[in-house]
Amino acid sequence: MSTTPQAATPARRRGVAAARTRHALLRVLAVLTRSVLIFVPVFVVATFVTFALRSLSGLSPARIQLGEEATPEAIARVEAEWGLDRPFLVQYADWFGGVLHGQLGTSWTNGADISTLIGLGLGVSLSVATFALVIGVLIGFLLGTVAALRRTTWIDRTITGFVTLVSVMPAFVVGIVLVAVFAVGLDLFPAAGYVPAAEGIGPWLTHITLPAVALSFDVIADVARQLRGGLIAAYRENYVTGAVVRGLSPRRIFFGHVLRNGLGPALATLGLKFPSLVGASVVTEWIFGLQGFGRFANDSAQSGDVPAVQGVLVVSIALVVAFNLIVNLVLARVTPASQRGV
Amino acid sequence: MVRRVLSLTSGRIAVGVLAVIALLALAGPWLAPQDPLATSDDTLAAASGAHWLGTDYLGRDVFSRLLDGSRISVLGSLEVAVVALAVGAVPGILSVYLGRVFEWLSLRLTDTLVALPFLLFAVAVIALLGNGITQAMLVTGTLVSPLFYRVARAATLTVARSPYVEAAIVSGASVGWIVRRHVWAKVLPPLAVALAQTIGVGFVIVSSLTFLGIGVQPPAPTWGGLLASDLGYLDYRPWAPLAPAVLISATVWACNLLADAIRDVSGEAGRALLDRRKARAHRTGTPDTVPTGGAR
Repeated sequence: MSTTPQAATPARRRGVAAARTRHALLRVLAVLTRSVLIFVPVFVVATFVTFALRSLSGLSPARIQLGEEATPEAIARVEAEWGLDRPFLVQYADWFGGVLHGQLGTSWTNGADISTLIGLGLGVSLSVATFALVIGVLIGFLLGTVAALRRTTWIDRTITGFVTLVSVMPAFVVGIVLVAVFAVGLDLFPAAGYVPAAEGIGPWLTHITLPAVALSFDVIADVARQLRGGLIAAYRENYVTGAVVRGLSPRRIFFGHVLRNGLGPALATLGLKFPSLVGASVVTEWIFGLQGFGRFANDSAQSGDVPAVQGVLVVSIALVVAFNLIVNLVLARVTPASQRGV
Repeated sequence: MVRRVLSLTSGRIAVGVLAVIALLALAGPWLAPQDPLATSDDTLAAASGAHWLGTDYLGRDVFSRLLDGSRISVLGSLEVAVVALAVGAVPGILSVYLGRVFEWLSLRLTDTLVALPFLLFAVAVIALLGNGITQAMLVTGTLVSPLFYRVARAATLTVARSPYVEAAIVSGASVGWIVRRHVWAKVLPPLAVALAQTIGVGFVIVSSLTFLGIGVQPPAPTWGGLLASDLGYLDYRPWAPLAPAVLISATVWACNLLADAIRDVSGEAGRALLDRRKARAHRTGTPDTVPTGGAR
C-alpha cells in the first residue's frame, strides 16, 4: 500500500510535465499563428505602398542614365529595358516575388545588386541598434525597478525627473552633444567611423558606443516609465497583498508575483520602439559617419534611386515585423494575460 | 479647460514656454538683428556683443539665423500635428460606427503605419516626391496618425457602449447627432492630449529632417540645419550646438508637460489623480511605513 503511491508519482509527474510542455508548445503556436495573421497583411500593404512610390514620384531610370535632354524614344527604350512599361500590378507581382526570394533588384544609378549593398550596411546598423537596445533595456529596467520599489520617495522623483529629461532629447541632439563632449572635448571615443567586430571587439565597441548611447535614450525613458507604472500597478493587486500576508520574502514576491505581471506594458512598448530606433539610425549614422543602412537610405533617396529606397524600406519593414514577432512570443511567455488578445 | 490647465503649475510653465516659442515663430524674422543670410569675413567667431551667439562657417550671425529659422520649425510641427489629427481621428471615430469591413480595413492600415520606421519612410518619400516642407509634413503627419486613430477609437468605444448613448439610440437619435452631441465631448480631451504630444513629436521629426537637409532649400535657416552646420566645426566652436539643442529640447519638453497637464485635469485622469491620492492615504495608513515629508 505504501509503495503504490511512490511508484505512481514519478509516472504521474512525467505525465504532468509532458502535458505542460504540450500546452506550452500549443500556446507558442497559437501566438505565432495570430501574430503571423496580423503581420502578413501589414507586410503586403506596406510593400505595396513602398512599391507605389515609384509611380507616385514619377522618377525614371532614364532621367538618371540619360540626363535631362533625352529624347522621348530613348526614355521609352530605357524604361522598357527596366520593365517599367508593363502594367503596374504585373510589375508589383514580379517585384514582390523577387522580394520573397531575397532579390531586391538592381540600383538605377550604378547597376549594383541592392541586396548586396544593403547587406554591407546592415551589419553596422544592426550592431548599433542591438547595442542601443541592450543599453536601453538594462538601464531602463534598472531605473524603472528602483523607482517602483522606492515609489514616492526622493529616489523615485529623481528618477522620474531624469527620465523626463532624457525623453525630450531627440537622438540627433544627444548625438551631437555626445560627439562634442566625449569625442572632440575629452577625446575618449572616436568621433566617426566603424570597425567590424571581426577586427577586434574592443575597437568595435568603442566605435558603436556613442551612436548606441544616443539612440538608447528614448528606449531608456520608455522602458523605465512603463516598467515603473506596470510594477506599481502590480504591487496594488490583491494577490500581492495575499503573498505579503502569507509571509513570502520580498524578493520572491517581486520576482514571482510582481515582475511577471508588471512587465507587459514595458515589453509591448519595446515592440513599438523598434521602428523608431531603425528610423532614427538615418540621423545618427549621418552624425557619426557610419556607412550603415540609414545612410544608404538617405543617400539613395536623395539621388532618386527608387529601387534602392524600396529595398531599404522592405528590409526595415521585415526587421520590424520580425522583432515584433519575437516581442509577442516573449510577451506570451512572460505574461499569460496578453494571450487574451489585448 | 484652458483655465483648468492654467491652474496647475506645470500647465503654466508649459503654456509660458510654448508662448515664447510661438512668439519667436511669429516675430522671429523681424526680431533678428542682422540679415540671417548675409555672409561676412568674420567666420566661426565666438559670442560677442556684435554676434550674440557668434558666427557660423560662412560668417553668418547665428542668433539671427536661430530667430529666423524658428518659423519653419514651429509651423512644420504644427502642420504635422494637424494633418495627423485629421487623418487619424476621423476614421478612428467612424471605425466604431461604419461597420466591420471599414473597421477591419482601417485597423490593418494603422497596424501597417505603426510598423513603418517613420523617419526612414519620411526621408525616402519626401526625397522621392520632391523636396518641399509641405510634402514633408503631409507624409509625416500621415505616418504618425495611428496615435490619433487609436485614441479616438478607444474613447469612442467607451462612449458607444455607455447606457446614455444606448438610451439615445433607443429614442431614435441618428448616428451624426450622437457623434456631435455625446461622442465629441468625450473624445476631445484625449485628442487634446495626443495633439500636444504630437506637436512635440512633430518638432523632433521636423528638426531631424531639416538636419538632414530634407524639406528645405539650402540657405534658408532652420534649427535642425543650424545643428547640422555646427557639427562640422565642433573643433572651433564646441559650444555652438547648445543653443538650438536647448531650444528644441525645451519645446518638446513643454509640449509633453502640456499633454500631462491636460491629462491631469480632464475627466479620465481626474479619476487617476483621485486614485493616486487614495493610494497614498492607504499607504500612510499601513503601520510599517513611516510617512516621509514628501508623501503628502
